[in-house]
Amino acid sequence: MDFWHRIMNIDRRWIYLLIAISVTFPMIVVMKFPVRVTPETRQLYDAINNLPDGSVVMLTFDYYPNAAAETEPMSVAALRHMFKKNMKVVTLSNIPLGGPTIAERITREIAAEYHKVYGVDYVNLGYKANYNAVMHGLANSIESIFPSDYTNTPLKDLPLMDSVRNYNDIKFIFVVADNATVDYWIQIVNAQYGVPVGAGVTAVVAPKMYSFVDAGQMTGMLGGMKGAAEYEKLVGHEGKAMRGMDAQSLAHLMIILLVIVGNIGFFVTRKKDSEKS
Amino acid sequence: MRKTVPVIVAFLSGFVMVVSFFFNPERTFIGGGQEAVLQWVTIVSGFTLVLGVFSIVRVNARAVARRSKGWFYKLLTVVSVFAMAIPAMLPVSKNTVGGKIFFGIFPDNWGTLFGTGPSSIYDWLFTYVDQPMMETMFAMLAFFIASAAYRAFRARNAEATLLLLTAVLVMLWRVPMGEAFLRLFSDSFPQYINMFVMNGFNVAVQRGIIIGAALGAASMSLRIMLGIERTYMGKG
Repeated sequence: MDFWHRIMNIDRRWIYLLIAISVTFPMIVVMKFPVRVTPETRQLYDAINNLPDGSVVMLTFDYYPNAAAETEPMSVAALRHMFKKNMKVVTLSNIPLGGPTIAERITREIAAEYHKVYGVDYVNLGYKANYNAVMHGLANSIESIFPSDYTNTPLKDLPLMDSVRNYNDIKFIFVVADNATVDYWIQIVNAQYGVPVGAGVTAVVAPKMYSFVDAGQMTGMLGGMKGAAEYEKLVGHEGKAMRGMDAQSLAHLMIILLVIVGNIGFFVTRKKDSEKS
Repeated sequence: MRKTVPVIVAFLSGFVMVVSFFFNPERTFIGGGQEAVLQWVTIVSGFTLVLGVFSIVRVNARAVARRSKGWFYKLLTVVSVFAMAIPAMLPVSKNTVGGKIFFGIFPDNWGTLFGTGPSSIYDWLFTYVDQPMMETMFAMLAFFIASAAYRAFRARNAEATLLLLTAVLVMLWRVPMGEAFLRLFSDSFPQYINMFVMNGFNVAVQRGIIIGAALGAASMSLRIMLGIERTYMGKG
């Protein structure tokens, strides 16, 4: 068997090793290539930034833990931006596992940094089943869908919720999602109730969202970890996404190299095989 | 009867939702119908979770009892369901009737272990068991994708070559190192990819898919309301 045939039949564990090296190498050697901000990220940042200080905004945690590497930095950066502008933040999740717990942990962590008080500056509503019904129901009354918050405190005992009855009291909805719930936030909440919606989504979901941004149904978008890194840059606080960019860069580069080598091998071996036959 | 009642319920629910959309919920009776239906949907959805737990326990318990293949993992599944659910549902204070009874028997300081708040058993299991496991499973995709790309991503014909080149360009554009590489050719190169590939070809295709899916969803909804589509009852 010649070189190219051996390359074409390489044990996949060598490929796994190359990927492992390309992901772990940046943990030892920091490269820090500059992150450029895309127009979609800039649009979302500006939409939040142009809201008056003290506005009520909704931040959703519609993601499972497996996508947290991409989505959690978005939530953290969004919270920093909102608290920096003294906004009142209402969080909720349409995902039963992950979203509500991550929301509780992250929001309390970031709120402590900015000396924000639970119930006055922010509230975590938690999760309710059937996001379609929840999104419609919040338009009439938040309390009818969420009589109590994530830790079972009745909404009437939380001062912030006295002034937040339904979508009319919410200036912007920042959706962070790894699934189709973001479609419903656009199709139901933006289209039917007119609330501006922006979103941070995983890289897999992002291509679909471009059509909503282009149509003006969505006010800006963060796509994948790169989008999160761009938002971190705009907020001025380097976080996990910025640090993850080196690993993602090398992994992408490695996959591109593998594709190139695979294709060279494919053509060389095909030519040799046809010459033999 | 078993078929007629679900069809009537489906028709009425859909009909109320469609009609009430066109009426003001504050001024008209029918406009408020939407909220009533949605509250019912939320309640029924809650019951479906209970049904889900019942189903998972029944299916797995049977396999454990018969010692069928992989019974130990099925046992772990059932144990995990209850390990997460029971501490999360137990009362955290004496504010409720259940809480008064529970903390009449057990010490008050056990309250921090229950519920879903920080330092609860649920939170600990989620943070240190569930989240790492789910992230690990997802992270492994990187290895499989790399291996699959190496073996399957071939420029066999013109369409495949176009797809391959576009994928390589987008992969470069989505990371700072690749973007820096693209800027060696032209400073506007990454901007062009965003403009022509993502906001151009991609948007055109995505819109076609979204409109097609929306039309399909509308026709399927109509079929369900009219009782033509009955697969949701578990039969054709």
